[in-house]
Parts: sequence; structure tokens; C-alpha cells
Amino acid sequence: MARRIVVGRALLAAAAILMAVPAWASSPRLSIILPRGIQRGTEQVVTFSGSSLGDAQEILFYSPGFEVTKLEPNGNTVKVTIKVATDCRPGEHVAQVRCASGISDYRTFFVDPFPAVAEKEPNSNFDAPQPITLGVTVGGVVQNEDVDYYVLDAKKGQRISAEVFGMRLGNTLFDPYVAILDSKRFELSSADDTPLVLQDSVASVVAPADGKYYIEVRESAYGGNGSSRYRLHVGTFPRPTAVYPAGGKLGEEVEVRFLGDPAGELKQKVKLPATTTPDFGLFATDAGGIPPSPNPFRLFEYGNAFEVEPNEAVATATPVQLPLAFNGIIEKKGDVDCFKFSAKKGQVFEVECYARRVRSALDPVMNLYYANGKSIAGNDDSRGPDSYFRFSVPADGEYVVRVTDHLGRGGSDFVYRIEFQAVKPRLTLGIPRVERYGQYRQTIYVARGNKFATLITASRANFGGELVLEGKDLPAGITMHAENMPSNLNSMPVVFEAAADAPLSGKLIDFTARHADPKQNIVGGFANSADFIRGAPGQSIYKRKAVNRLAIAVVEELPFTLEIIEPKVPIVRNGSMQLKIVVHRKEGFKGAINVQLPFRPPGLGAASSVNIPADKNEVLYPLSANGGAQIKKWRIYAIGSSNVKGAAWVSSQLATLEIAAPYVTFAVQRASCEQGEEAQIYCKLNHAAAFDGMATVKLLGLPPKVATTDIQFNKDTKELTFILKTEKDTKPGKYNNVFCQLIITQNGESIVSRAGGTQLQIDKPLPPPPGQPVVKATPKPMPKVAAGQPKPAPPKPPKPLTRLQKLRLAAKQRAEAKATARETQETGGGSK
Amino acid sequence: MRLKISAIHASCLALTVLAAASTAFAQDSAAKPASIRVNPADIHLTTVRDRQAIIVQAVYPDGITRDVTEQVTFTLANSAIVKQEKNVFFPVADGTTEINVEYAGHTIALPVVVKQATADPAISFQQDVMPVLLKAGCNTGSCHGAKLGKDGFRLSLFGYDPQGDYHNLTREISGRRINLALPAESLMITKSTGVVPHTGGGRFKADSEYNATLMRWVESGALNDPGAVPKVVSLEIYPKGAVLNGQGTTQRINVRAKYSDGTDRDVTSLAKFSSSNENSATITQEGTVTAEKRGEAFVMARFDTHTVGTHFIVLPKDLKFAWNDAPAFNYIDESMHKKFKKLRINPSDICSDDQFLRRATLDITGVLPTAEEFQAFMSDSDPKKRDKLVDELLTRKEFVEIWVMKWAELLQIRTTRQVSYKAMLRYYNWLQARIASNVPMDQMVQELLGSNGGTFANAATNYYQNETNTQKVAENVAQVFLGMRIQCTQCHNHPFDRWTMDDYYSFAAFFSQIGRKRGEDPREMIIFNSGGGEVRHPVGNRVMQPKFLGGETPDVKGKDRRVVMAKWLASSDNPYFARNLANIVWAHFLGQGIVNEVDDVRVSNPAVNPELMDALAGHFTEYKYDFKKLVRDICTSRTYQLSTQTNETNASDTVNFSHGSLRRLRAEVLLDTISQVTDTKNKFSGLPMGARAVQIANGNTSTYFLTAFGRAKRESVCACEVKMEPNLSQALHLLNGDTIQSKIASGKLVERLLAEGKTAPQVIEALYIRCLTRKPTAKELASLAAVLAEQKNDKQVLEDVFWALLNSREYVFNH
Repeated sequence: MARRIVVGRALLAAAAILMAVPAWASSPRLSIILPRGIQRGTEQVVTFSGSSLGDAQEILFYSPGFEVTKLEPNGNTVKVTIKVATDCRPGEHVAQVRCASGISDYRTFFVDPFPAVAEKEPNSNFDAPQPITLGVTVGGVVQNEDVDYYVLDAKKGQRISAEVFGMRLGNTLFDPYVAILDSKRFELSSADDTPLVLQDSVASVVAPADGKYYIEVRESAYGGNGSSRYRLHVGTFPRPTAVYPAGGKLGEEVEVRFLGDPAGELKQKVKLPATTTPDFGLFATDAGGIPPSPNPFRLFEYGNAFEVEPNEAVATATPVQLPLAFNGIIEKKGDVDCFKFSAKKGQVFEVECYARRVRSALDPVMNLYYANGKSIAGNDDSRGPDSYFRFSVPADGEYVVRVTDHLGRGGSDFVYRIEFQAVKPRLTLGIPRVERYGQYRQTIYVARGNKFATLITASRANFGGELVLEGKDLPAGITMHAENMPSNLNSMPVVFEAAADAPLSGKLIDFTARHADPKQNIVGGFANSADFIRGAPGQSIYKRKAVNRLAIAVVEELPFTLEIIEPKVPIVRNGSMQLKIVVHRKEGFKGAINVQLPFRPPGLGAASSVNIPADKNEVLYPLSANGGAQIKKWRIYAIGSSNVKGAAWVSSQLATLEIAAPYVTFAVQRASCEQGEEAQIYCKLNHAAAFDGMATVKLLGLPPKVATTDIQFNKDTKELTFILKTEKDTKPGKYNNVFCQLIITQNGESIVSRAGGTQLQIDKPLPPPPGQPVVKATPKPMPKVAAGQPKPAPPKPPKPLTRLQKLRLAAKQRAEAKATARETQETGGGSK
Repeated sequence: MRLKISAIHASCLALTVLAAASTAFAQDSAAKPASIRVNPADIHLTTVRDRQAIIVQAVYPDGITRDVTEQVTFTLANSAIVKQEKNVFFPVADGTTEINVEYAGHTIALPVVVKQATADPAISFQQDVMPVLLKAGCNTGSCHGAKLGKDGFRLSLFGYDPQGDYHNLTREISGRRINLALPAESLMITKSTGVVPHTGGGRFKADSEYNATLMRWVESGALNDPGAVPKVVSLEIYPKGAVLNGQGTTQRINVRAKYSDGTDRDVTSLAKFSSSNENSATITQEGTVTAEKRGEAFVMARFDTHTVGTHFIVLPKDLKFAWNDAPAFNYIDESMHKKFKKLRINPSDICSDDQFLRRATLDITGVLPTAEEFQAFMSDSDPKKRDKLVDELLTRKEFVEIWVMKWAELLQIRTTRQVSYKAMLRYYNWLQARIASNVPMDQMVQELLGSNGGTFANAATNYYQNETNTQKVAENVAQVFLGMRIQCTQCHNHPFDRWTMDDYYSFAAFFSQIGRKRGEDPREMIIFNSGGGEVRHPVGNRVMQPKFLGGETPDVKGKDRRVVMAKWLASSDNPYFARNLANIVWAHFLGQGIVNEVDDVRVSNPAVNPELMDALAGHFTEYKYDFKKLVRDICTSRTYQLSTQTNETNASDTVNFSHGSLRRLRAEVLLDTISQVTDTKNKFSGLPMGARAVQIANGNTSTYFLTAFGRAKRESVCACEVKMEPNLSQALHLLNGDTIQSKIASGKLVERLLAEGKTAPQVIEALYIRCLTRKPTAKELASLAAVLAEQKNDKQVLEDVFWALLNSREYVFNH
């Protein structure tokens, strides 16, 4: 068994490769940007590696500060010369490659505040470290069981900070450890997992004396491999582990305290942006420089309130006014913070506690009480380690919210904030994945003079209703075709069409939808998240990156277009249809085309894909509708791919497909007979809508050696009967899958449906009753009579007996036969 | 060979010298007894049905005992209060009196108290009927105690559910099992007396006392006990020990139960008897022990949920024995010698210096002594050099590593689907840090069992990530830290121990409030006190209060139950903790536990030397659980230093540590020493080149060699995980496998020694010292010289010698 499974897996894997090869060979893919970091204020050459990048035309950046001065595509890589602005935000940035034939995946790269140096092996011994200076970024690799040592000189009182990017680089499951040691090998500061940077780590210390200091980097469990890259930033920069408060009001100036730096607390005034900014964070800056990554900071529509100790109990809770964000620190082991506020009956709040989401070490537990201490709600982990609940205020009055650590821990940087916000509608758009962990076809690239389509999903929170896609700001020459998304659906087909003369160009756009009712004023945009690192247990995601803009481009023209021939008849419930799809080939194009129907209205089934061979120009796509298919005129599209210097994708137009109720349904009676006899299947018709001319009904699902003929009928026929001929050796048994297939012709096309099913039972003839002289059985002991009599000749055969009626009759006759037999026996006995 | 001859020689000599003394010794046993023991020491008779048998044992100056119950004279001070029938006494009237017991000039007065002499209470289902069912074997696993019962009738196994049994007897198939109209027709009566066919046959006679009890119960309406039934609080077995002189000698046993209402009862007829060693002593179900072959036996009686035992020594008739006056090096030897004298065993001589060096170095550090260490030790003339060696070895880091490995086995440190490599490594490092810094064992265990937090942040919590089933956790804790296997009591009261289902579920209740949640890192789990969750007893579904095994019910309200439990478990309040750890340490150095297996402590598996067990546990507690000191005591004792050569008296002894035992090296140590003597390095995953197998953190990291030689996979806490049994693949691997041959080749030791200018005999000597910690004998040298003379290629021959040494039993065993 095990072996078979293994073989099966191997086959699957092989299949996956076969399928993947044309796709990967074609559409551009980006797997890594190297080196992983660039120093800001410099111009550097960076290599974008992946596949099919030979026709790269542009790099799309998701954040400002980058200028490409040279683009040198070469096969599967692109050498890009990038000029990074001096004020570019240090840390993670996102880019993707736009090619003449498509758009690649997006990947991250990093902006460093320091010049880069490369790791030089051998540096695995404390006694033979690699010398560096303060203020550098080391790009290194940790091989299996590898330990990297660096040495630097520092003066007494100088701050030495070391921050390592490992998991954040998004390469592989590499969990780095960093330590700062003195020359006697004593660890002055070390970290494996720093809450601020999750699995990555930071160490920071004020040099106790002039001398040499050592930095050690390794995998926390002495693992590692060739992809275990890291960027180690070493400098005199402040490295606070928390910022307090960890959020502020949009557009306002706030004073914040940076906590956890070895040189002491740092105060800074910051003017916050007026609009929401993704990945917003604050950089603690002083004479020592700027850290390579920020402290995450929440931008909120309301201002801050602060805890005032002592506030351990409901009675001593810090009074605050809503709406606000409450800020506090769980300062020591066992610390508890309470806030008191008043609320009005009927108000509904989303209560979010931000701690781990702003990278605080706190694992918050949040509880809500009446002012008298009676509990209302509580939560530990609804938002990852953070807490959340919705609070419907039961009555006017005062309430207390309480925060503590799940394990009763505490620390000077255990910062949190609780945001109270009224429940608001939220709308997010997306494109479903076609690869389980990849981004393939999650961008829009439309060939000139052709079409491209995708499903757009919408997730509505706290509201319902129809949505309108706005499609603003599309590149020149692209038009969007989409209907409104009905309230009961959360995905819809959208077709993009590029004019034949559209210029080759692309951009990142804010792709938005709004509520169909303009009064509602609900708008939402596109979001996507890519999985970069996954690992055990299960396929846990260790590093992902979310973006909120959609990449869209016009690409080179393709030698084929796709068209759905709109059917002139509907597909009915329980019916099927062969949807015709046509390919229009340009002169000389001979590729086979794989066609899919990604959008399926509720209740509509279809094959996952069909193939148009190289020598054919059309294909019939089998569709079926189940009994509950939603009746409506739907808009659908087909998408097809062919190998044109790799897999190229086009779509058909948005075509109409109607799903309708069946014209007529059949109530079919069960039937039975003995081998070699005839059976009748009686059908009662129920007309829902009239049709013209004659329709045909076929009885399908019959076992071998049972014959019948098709029947024609019209809109006035009320009932009909199939005569079934069985043979002596027809296999006896119950056949449950016998059904009527109905074919109605309209507008020259067929509407095919399944009109009703039944059961056919074929029995072996019973042996004669025991004790009965077999030979003399000229009058048949078994009641064949009823079933036998109607010949096809009479125009209307008498209504056949049901199975139950037949059984009753048989029982009656058996009883009579027995009685007769007893009589004969008695008389016989008497004669002896 | 040479050694053996000399040892035999020495013992012969000793025998002749002491022959005269021992003759006198043997003759003494026929003389007047030194004392008599009357058991029990008092008589309490309550109600007309009560009775008490008395047994009298004569103790002779040489320690031999005799059952003289038949020969003694009983004199009743007042026959109006008590009456006598042979050695059994019955109540007559309320009051107190005395009975005088006289034998061979010894007299003992036996106080008697009689209460409610005329009261005749109704037969109790639980106190009278259930014991009959247990004694007759009705509720054993092979009979009606089976999970689905037998032949349509089910009783709870060993009677753990009296109310269920009452229901099944009286309410199922009413009128058949119990026929109130015709009591004698009840199936319960007719089946058990064999009147009607019964798969189990007749269990007792119709005229027996057992049947009378059942009949009387049915006749009086087969009623259930009204209200609470007095519980058996203790069980006493008499005599407290016996030394039987020669095969066929008998000694009767008496068992008395004490109840929670203050009464007692002679339950000899209702107790189940068994012997731990039928080869030496058999016991009838009536309670008569018969001596068989020389040896020891633990004779046990079980009544209700209690099992008690008494120690029997069987000696050949009129054995001649002279104590060899072995000196005691410390308290361990004192306890040992006391026992040896009782058994008429002389301990072996102490082993030679080279043997001690090899033995102690291997046991304490898991490596072989180097040539330099050998020379230094052998040339040291300090009489205290063995103690000095032990002290020095205890300071080495290899000592720590051995014990980290042993603890890693008990704590099951390994990667699983739940436990990531990182969590496992942190767990291992936590353990290593504790042992390396000599954290007292009680502190370490308390920290472990009371741990809370993330499996990365506080690695001790991995203990609770490894095993997430509440009952399994409880079972593991009992097995590792108390040495007890309580698994049986999950389903029924332990048949050979004192533990009941109540004990099991009450102990499991300590682990019912372990909260577990995913950490932010998917590999991390957070263990915390959830403050809620109970364990329920499967019979009656009642919530069980946490109760220490064999201890009190602590107040756990508002506390972390595990912390409360850990505080008790790893303390002197818990009588099992120090004993168990001391026993584990002992077993490492002596090859088997004082209780063996070390994790199978139970009433029916007593310590071979309880006094030593107590002494070790006492010292360990006194040392504040610093086990290094305990190791020192053990390794400097004479018992540890005994030669493996036996003498006439201890040749058949396998359990009393009267001579050294041959112990195969464990897988890791064997591989490490092979690498050590061949000057080669191993590479294990997660460890630098040249690391030793002992240092492997992960139970799942193994090599073919380690697996073949039985390295523990750490899948369970069982002491049996480390396999020491020989098998064919071990032998074949040593002979033909790549380990030894390739290590000899890649180590190039012989080549190097020759290059240093050593002659072939010098190389041979060096190899002998390296591998066996001794110089070759003259005979060995002579035969090897012959081979060298015959063959041209010295290097080839010497490498063959090396190979042969590594394959020798002398190498593979610690001796």
C-alpha cells in the first residue's frame, strides 16, 4: 500500500512538472533580488533572477525613492542599476519586473543605512574572526552548523548595535542568532528571537571599555544551508525594542519615547502622515545614526490616552474618554492595567488590543467588566497573540477594560494600545491564487488587440449588497468589462481588453470597488499577500508580504484570440450543454490551446479544462447544471493558454449563458419484471413551459440486454410508457440509475436535460411452491398475467400495476394456490 | 584464566582456615531458641463471628527460624472471655484478659480484648461477600473480571466497582443469579460450588465457610450495604520474616486487616497468597510456606486493595558457613554485609587496580583511561588512590555528559512532529545547563514539572509538549520520578500494588489544567496554567481532587496544580523521590537496581536490600539531592569494587551484588571508546566533527551502529528503551561492519606507533593498555610473538591484533 502511494505521489509530482514547465517557461517569474540590500544614497547594480525575464522593460516599485538608470535583461536575469534616494526609508521594499510579454511575481529587497561588506570565510572561529568596522552591513550566509564571527574596535561608552535580518529576507527558514561578546568571550548581549523582529534578532550594548568586540551570527539550532543569507547591520545606531505610545492620530504631531535601548530612553517628536500608510514605522534617530528597521507605529483616526499607575484593579482604573486609543505598558511581572470609560447603550465597538502587532513582547489578555467588576467579555488570542472582541454596549454606564500578560510576565518595553472604534464596513478585493503558494497570474497583463480576464473576489465585512468595480487609472488603451457583483456572490468575472494600438506599458494601480448604492459610500481596494517562507509544522507560513496595489500592463500582441459562441438556448436545471469555443488563429499559428472556464455560476459544473489541438479551431466545452443552479442570465468567460515563446494567456469576451428552469419534468414509476419478460415504465409529465414541435425522450441507464425505444412527444402529452424487453439471461438485480433524458430543440439547438429517474428491478423466476407436482403445472402457479398482457399494438395500454400492487397480487395468488393444494392433499389422504 | 585460578585458590584457603568455627555454628541451630515471636502481638475480638489465629516462631542464635505454633503451650487467664481451638481464639464474653504463650523456656503474654461478644451483624456485601469472590478468583481477568465478562456475567476486575458488581449480581437476570425464594438454587451458589456446570469449575465446597457466607447473605435478602462501609486501612502479614532451614520446612502465614472503624479481622482465609520465587518457597492458598531450593522469596498476601509481603530466606539444611570478614568501606557495605550474613554469602574479593581503573573510568565518564592515566594510576602507591581517582573523574565534563544523556532519555528529548529541532535543542541545553552546574535534583525536577511559558523561551516546558495526554503525563511522571508504573490502575485497582483507580485519577488531576496554545512562531507551543479542567473517575464520573500518590490531598485552590505537585514530588515529603533517583544512579554503576527494573517499584517487587535502599535515599536527601556525592559513595564502596570472580558461596547469586557483574557497554559509550582507541572522529548531525555519541541531543539522531547496539529512541520513558541484549547484527557489525575495520584503517594508529620507533611487542603492549587497560600476559605475548615471527608484515599483524582486541568480549564488556 505504502509503495503504491509513493508511486502515486511520484506520478503526481511528474504531472505537476509537466504542467508547470510550459507555464514557468513563459510568463516571467521573479524568485530573488540579489544582493538583498542596497545602501541608500548610492547607485548600485542589482540582479533580479527568475525565469523568462529576457524582455524586461521596467521595474515596478511599490514605494518611492528608486530610480532605474539602466536595465540589462539577459535570459532569466535582469541586471538593474538602481539609484536609491538619500532619504529613502530603510528596511523592506517591494518590486516586480514588467516585461514585454508579462509581469513577474513581486519580491522584496532592502534598503540599508550602511555600506555593504561581504562575509569572508573562514570566519567560523572566535580566534580568527573577520574584521569589520562600526557602521557596516554584512551580507553573509550561514551554512549547516556554521558560525560566523566578526570583530570590531569600539571606544568606552560607544553604543554597539547589531541587527540581523534572516527570516525577514524571505529566502528560507533561517532563524538567526546574534551575540555581542567581549574579548574574553563573555556575552554582553545576545538574542535568538527578539519580539521586535520575531525570529530575527537584535543585540545592543554600550561598550564598557575601549577594546575589541566580537559579533557572532549563527542559526539558532546550528542549522543553515546555502540559502541561509543574512544581513547583519552593525553600528552605533539606537536600537530601541519598543516605542511608546505605539500609535497616534493621523496628521498630528506626537511625542514618543523609544524604550529598550542600552544607552537609555530616547524622546522624539514626530509629525504623522495625514493618510493611512502601509508598513508605517518610526525610526529612533540620534547621533549614533538610524537603525536598519523601524519600530512599527499605528496610525489611527483618534488620539491617545495613557495609563496612570496604580491601575491594577477595576476600582483604580485610569479614567478615559471614548473614542480613543488607550496606551500602557505592562511594566513588571504580574502587572495589570485597567481603564475606565463610559459608553451609551446601543453603541457597538471593535476593541482591538495591539501589542504583538506593533512588535511588543506582550502577549495580551484583554477583559471587559461592568464598573462593579462583573465580567462581560474576555479574549486572549483572536488576533494571533493579540486580543480582540466586539462590544455591544448593553446599557448607559461605565465600563472597565483590563489588560495583562498571558503568562503574567512584564517588562519596561511591554507596550500595548487598545483601539476602540465603531464597527465600519470593510471591503477588500483580491485575485484568487492559481498556485497554492505562488503569485502566478495574480497580475493583469493584456496583449495588444486581445483580451485577458480574471476572477475578482470581494470580501465584505459588516455590510452586504451589490458592488461596482471602478477600474480607474488603467493604463492607456485598456478597457475593463464587468457587470456588478451581486450581493450573494463574492467573486465575479472581469475581462480587460487592450486596443490594438495600445502602447506597451504598465503600472501599479489602486484597483477599487464601491457599493452600487452611492449613498452607502463604501469603497475598498485590492490587496494581495505572497507567501515567501513556509515550513513545519504543517505548511506554516513564516514570512509573507502583503501589498495593496495591482500590477497591470499592456503586453505584446499574441497570435490567437478566443471566442465563446453564445448559445441560443438556455441550459436548464439538471441539464447539460456543449458550449462551443472558437479560436481565431493568426496566419501561421499552430499551437494547441488549453481552455478553462474559471467562472462557474452557482450550480454549474464543467470540466476543469479542455484542449483545442493544433489542427482544430474549436472545441465543445461540456457544462452541466444541477437541480439548484441559480436561474439567471450569467456572464462567463473562457481563458486559454498556448505556448508562444512560453505560456501566453488570453481570454474570450464576456458571453451570456442562461440558466433556466426545465420545460417539462417527468414523474417516473418504478418497474419490475422477471428475466425474459417485458416491463413497462410509466411516466407522468409535468409541463412548466411550452415548447414548439416534438421533443424526444430516451430512457438511459438500462442494464445490458434490456431494450426499449425512444419516444417522441409534444407540449400536450400528459403521460407515456416505455416498454422494456428483457432476455432470459438479463442479469437480475436492482438498477437504480435508470433515467429519462429529454431533448428539446429550439432555435436549431438542443436543450438536453435529465427529466426524472427511477428504479428497474429484474428478478429470477421463482421456483414452483414446494409440494406441488411440478410436471402438472400447466396453469402457471405464479401470476404472470398482469405483466404479460399489454402488447404494443393497442394505442393506449391499460395502466400497468405498480410494484406494490404486483406483490400484493402475487401474495394473494400464492395463498389461493396453497389452499387449493391443501384441498387436493386432503382428498388424496382420505383415499389412502 | 590466570585470574580465575588464583581466585579459586584463595577461597579454598579461606574455607580450610575457618572450617572449625563453622561446624560449631551449624550445630547451634538445633539448640535452644534465642527468642520466640508471637504473632500478632495482641488479640482484638469483635462480634461473635470474629476469631484470631496465633502463630509462634522460634528464632535460633544463628538466625534460623522455626514454626513452633504446634508445640507451644497456651494458657488462658480467663476462659470466660475467650476460648481456644488449637491456635485459634474465639470470643465468649466482653472483657479483657491475657493468654500466656510458652515455648522452650520463653514466655510471652498476649493481651486480649473482646467487644460485642454476642453481636452477630448481618453479612456485608462489600466486607464479606466481595472478599469471597476475590479469593475464589471470580473477578479475575480470565474469569468474570474480563472486560466483557465471561459466559454472560461480568464483575469488575479485582472488584474495583462494588456497586456495579452488586447491580450485576442482583439486578441482571433477576431470580437466576440470586434466587431469594430458594437461596440454594441461586446460580451464584450452584455455579461456585460446582453443582451445575460452570466453565470455571467448582470454586469451593458446599460445606465451606465461603459458601456459608454467600448462603447467609442470600438468605437474608441479598441486601446492599446500608451507608458507608468501613474501609481496610492496613494489612499486616506475619511472621515478619523467616529463615528456613532446609527443603520441606514449613512456616504458616497469618494476615490481619485493620479497618477504618478501629476493628481488625483475621483474614488469612480470605487473602490471596503468592510467592515471588516459587523456586525457593511455595505457598498454599491456606497460607503455608514450604521451603524449596536455596534462595530468597517474597511471600505476599493480598486482601481488598492492599498487598503486603514478608521476606523468606531458604538455606540448605544445616549449612556450614564462615563469614570472610570483608571490611566495610562505607555505609553501603555495612548494609550489604548484613544481608550477606543472613544469606550465608561471602562477597568476592576486590578487583585489581587495572580493572578498577577501567571500570570506574567507563562508568563515571564513558571513556577509556588513556595510556598515561594507566601508567600514573598503576604506579601510584597511595592506598587512597581509588578514592582519589573517583574524585578526579567526577570533576570531568564527560561525567556530566553521561548524566545529561541518561536524563535526556528519561525526559524523552527528541524531535517529533510537534517538537521542532530548535525546541528540542533548547530543551537539551536547559537540561545540560542544570546538570553541568550541579543544580540539586529536587530543584531541577521542580523547575521542570512546574514549568510555564513558551517552549523556546522556557525550554523546560517541552516536557509538556512532548506528551499532551493528561493521563499519559501522569503515568510518565510516576514512572520517571517515582519509579512506578501506574498504568494498570487506569482501568482497575493494581493487583500487585497498593494503587487504586482513585489514586490514579487523583494523581492525574494534577495535570488536568495544563493549557497549551500555539506560540507566535509556529514551532513554539506555550504551556500555561489554564486554571480549569478536571479529571473524572470512570466509575461514577465523579470529579477527582488532586492527591499525591500515597500522600495527602493538598489545597490547590487558585494555585498551579503542577507547581503544588512538583513541590511535593521532589522533596523529602515524598518517600519515593530520593529512593527512586538513588536507585537509578545505583543501577548505572552496578548494572541493576536495588529495585529492579528501576521503574517498576511496587509492593510485590521489593528492594533486594531495603536497608541499603533506605540508607542511599537517606544520604541523598542529606546531600540536598547532590547526586555527585551519591556517585562518590557508590564508587568508593567495596561493593562497587568487587571482582567479577565468584567464590563458592556467591557463585549463584545474581541479585545481591555480592560480586562484580559483567556489563556490556551501552551503544554510545561503545562507539565513543572505539573512536577513542582508534584515534578517529565521528560526525553526527547537529554536532561538530569529533563530537561523541554521548553528546547527541536528539533521540532521533542515530547511526546504524548506535541503533544496532540499542541506543534509546526516547519514544517512551521506559527504562527498557536502552537495549543491552546481544544480537546477531551487533556481532556481525563488529566483525564485518565498517565501524571497526575502517576506523582502524583511518586512525592509522599502528602505523604511527611503528613510526615512533616502537617494536612490535611494544606496540602490542600499547594496544592492550589502550583497549583493555592492562598489559598483555606472558602467554598472550608469546603466542602473538609466534604469529609475528611467521608473518612478514608487522603492520598487518599488529592491525589484526588491534582488530581482535576490539572484537574481544573483554573489550565490549565492563568488568
